[in-house]
Amino acid sequence: MSVVAITRYGGRLSAYVLGAASGAVKIIGVILVIATFNFILVHAAPGDPAQVIAGQSGAADETLLRQIRSAYGLDQPYLVQLASSLKKTLTLDLGYSYRQQRTVLSLLLERLPATLLLTGTAFILSLVFGTALGTIAGTRAGKWSDTFFTIVSLLLYALPVFWLGLMLVLLFSVQLNWLPPFGYVTVGVEMTTWQRIADIAWHMVLPTLSLAAVYLAIYARLMRSSIIEVKQQDFIKTARAKGVTESRIVMHHLLRNAILPVITVAGMQAGGVVGGAVVVETVFAWPGLGRLIYDAVLQRDYPVMQGIFLIMSIVVIGLNLLTEAVYRMVDPRISVRSVT
Amino acid sequence: MTDEPLLSIENLSVALPKGGDRQFAVENVSLAVRRNEIVCLVGESGSGKSITAHAVLRLLPPGLDVAAGAIRFKDTDLARADEGTMRALRGGPISMIFQEPLSALNPLTRVGQQIAEAIITHAGAKLSGSEVDARVIELIAAVGLPDPPALARSYPFQLSGGQRQRIMIAIAMANEPALLLADEPTTALDVTTQKQILALVRRLQAERGMGVLFITHDFGVVADIADRVVVMRNGCVVEQGAVDEVLRAPKNDYTKALIAAVPGGRPASMRGHALGTDPLLVARGLNKVFTSRQGVFRPVRRVPAVQDVALTLRPRETVAVVGESGSGKSTLARMIMRLIEPDTGAIDFDGVDFLKLKGVQLRAMRRKVQIVFQDPFAALDPRQKVGEAIARGPMTYGTPPVDAIAEAKRLLARVGLKESAYERYPHEFSGGQRQRICIARAIALKPLVLVADEAVSALDVSVQQHILELLAELREEMSLAMLFITHDLRVASEIADRIVVMRRGEIVEQGETQSVFGAPQHAYTRELLEAIPGRSLFGRPHEPSANLRFA
Repeated sequence: MSVVAITRYGGRLSAYVLGAASGAVKIIGVILVIATFNFILVHAAPGDPAQVIAGQSGAADETLLRQIRSAYGLDQPYLVQLASSLKKTLTLDLGYSYRQQRTVLSLLLERLPATLLLTGTAFILSLVFGTALGTIAGTRAGKWSDTFFTIVSLLLYALPVFWLGLMLVLLFSVQLNWLPPFGYVTVGVEMTTWQRIADIAWHMVLPTLSLAAVYLAIYARLMRSSIIEVKQQDFIKTARAKGVTESRIVMHHLLRNAILPVITVAGMQAGGVVGGAVVVETVFAWPGLGRLIYDAVLQRDYPVMQGIFLIMSIVVIGLNLLTEAVYRMVDPRISVRSVT
Repeated sequence: MTDEPLLSIENLSVALPKGGDRQFAVENVSLAVRRNEIVCLVGESGSGKSITAHAVLRLLPPGLDVAAGAIRFKDTDLARADEGTMRALRGGPISMIFQEPLSALNPLTRVGQQIAEAIITHAGAKLSGSEVDARVIELIAAVGLPDPPALARSYPFQLSGGQRQRIMIAIAMANEPALLLADEPTTALDVTTQKQILALVRRLQAERGMGVLFITHDFGVVADIADRVVVMRNGCVVEQGAVDEVLRAPKNDYTKALIAAVPGGRPASMRGHALGTDPLLVARGLNKVFTSRQGVFRPVRRVPAVQDVALTLRPRETVAVVGESGSGKSTLARMIMRLIEPDTGAIDFDGVDFLKLKGVQLRAMRRKVQIVFQDPFAALDPRQKVGEAIARGPMTYGTPPVDAIAEAKRLLARVGLKESAYERYPHEFSGGQRQRICIARAIALKPLVLVADEAVSALDVSVQQHILELLAELREEMSLAMLFITHDLRVASEIADRIVVMRRGEIVEQGETQSVFGAPQHAYTRELLEAIPGRSLFGRPHEPSANLRFA
C-alpha cells in the first residue's frame, strides 16, 4: 500500500503535464475543425466566394475580385484551397476585411481586450456571488432568507438580458444620473493611468451587472441544491461527531464538496457568457467583439465573421481547460486517479 | 467493570414529526453502558436502535427531537445540555463511528488531516503542529494500518472499505474517549474485514477501558463482541441482559424469533431435493477484463474481473457463488445472462450456443434467464404500477394483454401479496414486499434460470428467511435452476446445493454444500468460514456441534 501511495503522489505532477498536453491537442484539433467550418461557410454562402469575401457589397470591381481569387487560391481544387486556408489559420493569417479595409487579426486584437474584461469580470462576479448566495440559501433551506434568495435568483434568471440592461440604464443613468449609460471610457478628456482605470471601471458597472445577473442566478440555484445534497452526506455527520463548529463545517467540508458541480456547469456556461456579451455590448455600445460580430453579420463581412468564430471558439475552449484545471485542483480524485 | 454506569439512558422518547405512522421513533427506552464493557443494541430496520445512539450525541436527523427522558453521561444530562457543551463532548469524551466507510470521510481531504481535525478541535492551541502530526501517525498505527506516514497523505478513495473504517476508528480514538458509539460499523464490510474490525474494536476497548454502545442487526456479531445485549423492536426495548442469557435462553418471543431467523443454523430443509440430471447451462473458460482509458496519452487500465471460470447448472439446482466484494461474482452472473459480453469462453444454454446468438434469436433466449437484484428500492421503476412491471415482460414477448394481466395478478398472489397490489406503486410497499414483486416480475417470463444477485442481502433476517423459502418453493414448482450470488456464507449454506467460492476473479473451490462447509479444501474457503460472525454460539453451518442453540 505504502509504495503504491508514494508512486501515486510522484505521479501527480506527470498527471498535470499529461493534462496540459492533451489540452494542447484539443485546442489545435478544434482550431482545425473551426477553420474547416469557416472554409465551408464561405463556399456554402450564396454567390461567388470572391464576392462573399469582398463583402457582397456589389461595389467590388473585377480587379479586386481577381485579386481575392488569387490570394485565396479560389481557382485551385477544393482540397488545395482547404489545406492552404488551414495553414493560414494556424499561422494566424486570418484574412482581410475589405469592408473595414484592415486585417481581421488587427480588428480582433483591438476588440478582444474589452470583451475579455467585460466577460471575465461578469463571469467571476457571477461565480463568487452566485456560490455565496447559494451557500446562504442552502444552509438555511426552508427559512425565510432561503425563500427570499430563491425568489430573487428566479427573477434574475427570468429577466431577458437586454431588458435588464435597458432598465438599469433608465434607473441609474437617466433617473439617478449615477453611472454612465454606455461606452467604454469617457471620450476627449485628459486622464492619468489611474483615472483612466477608474473611468473604465465606472463604465463597466452596468454592462457587467446585466451580463452577470443571469449567470449569478444559475450558480446560486445550483449551489443551493448542491449544498442541500452534500449537507446530508455522512462525512458532514462525521465532522459534527468530531465536535467541529458549524462555521468550520460549512467552510471546510460543505463548500469544497458542493462547489464541484458549479465548477462543471461554469465551464460549460463560459461559452454562453461570451455569447451573452453580444447582446450586452450592443445595448451598452461596448467596443468589444460582440459589437464587431453584430456589425459583421449585418454587413455580411465574412472574413470578420470567420475570425470571430475562430477566436470565440478558442476563448471557450481555453475557459473549459481552465475549469478542468480548477476542478483538478479542488478534487484530488481526478488528478490522482488518472495516473493509477 | 465498575457498577457505576458511564452512560445511562432513562425513559428516553424521541418524537417523530406529526403525521407519521407512529408517534415516537424511540419510546421509553432505558439502558446503561458501564466502563469497560460492550453493550450491543440489536434490532431490525426501523427498531429505533440507530436513533437511540444518535440521540446520545444529539445528532438526530432534522425533525426528530428528544421528547422525554434523560441521557446521563457522568454529571451531564445530554438531553438538555446546550450546544456548546455537546460540541465539547462530541469527538472528545464521546465519539461515534458510522456504517458507511465509503461516505463517512470527506472525499477531498487527506485522511491524516481529517484525523488531525479531530485532535485540533479539542486540544486547540495546546499542541504544536508537529505534535499533532506525531499523534496522527500514532493513531494510524494504533488501528493497525501499515506505513502510517504514507497513509496519512492518502485520500479516502485510495483506501479500501476496511482501511477507511480503520481511519474512522482512528478519528474516534483521537481524544481518548470514555464512550464509543458504533453504528453498524461492520455491516458494509466483507466478512473477513468485519472480523478484523470487530477484533480491533474489542482490543481498543479493552486497552482503554472504554464503554462501547455497539449497534448491529446481526446476532452473529452480537455473539462475537457483546458483554450485554439490548434488543429493540418498534422503538421499544423488548429484552436486555448478559449476552449468554439473551442468546442462549431468550425470554421474549420476538428475541427468540430473531435468533431463530439467523441464517446458517437451521436444518437445511431447502436442500436435499431431486435435481435434474442433464445440465441445463454449461459455461466454460469465461474471461472478462474491464478496460478504461481516461485520456489520449494515458495508459489503458486493465482490470481482470473474471478469469477462466467454468460453471454448470442443472434444473432445480441452486448454485451459490460466494466471495467478497471484487471477487467477480456479479460479473460472472451478468455474463451468464449476457448483460456483459465475455471476452472469451462458451456458454451452452438449453442446447444452444448462447454466446453465438444475435438479434431475434438472442431476444428469444433472453427470457429464459431472469434476475432479481439486491436493492428492491432501486430495482423497480417508481412511476410504474407494480402490476404493470410484472405484466410488461410477457406482453413484449407476445402474450395478449388480458392474459398477461391475469397472470400478473396470479403471480402477485403466488408471491404472497394481494391481487389488488396490481394497481399500486412501489413506494407503497416495504423492502421485503418489493423483493417479492421483483421475484414475480422475474418469474413472469417463465425462465429456466433465475439469477439472484445478493437478493436477500438488503433485507432484515426475518424477512430474509421468508424470501429464501419463497425462492426454494418456486424453484421446485417451476423446475428453476438458480444461480445465487451472495457474500453471506450463512445464507448460501441454507439454500444452495452446490457452492462456488470465488476470489479475485477465479474459482478457488467448488463442490457440494455439505463438503465445502464440512471439509473445505482451500485455505481461502477456511478463512471465509472462520470469519462468519457468531461461530462461537451458532457453530459452523453443518457442523454436528451446531446444535447447541437454544438449550
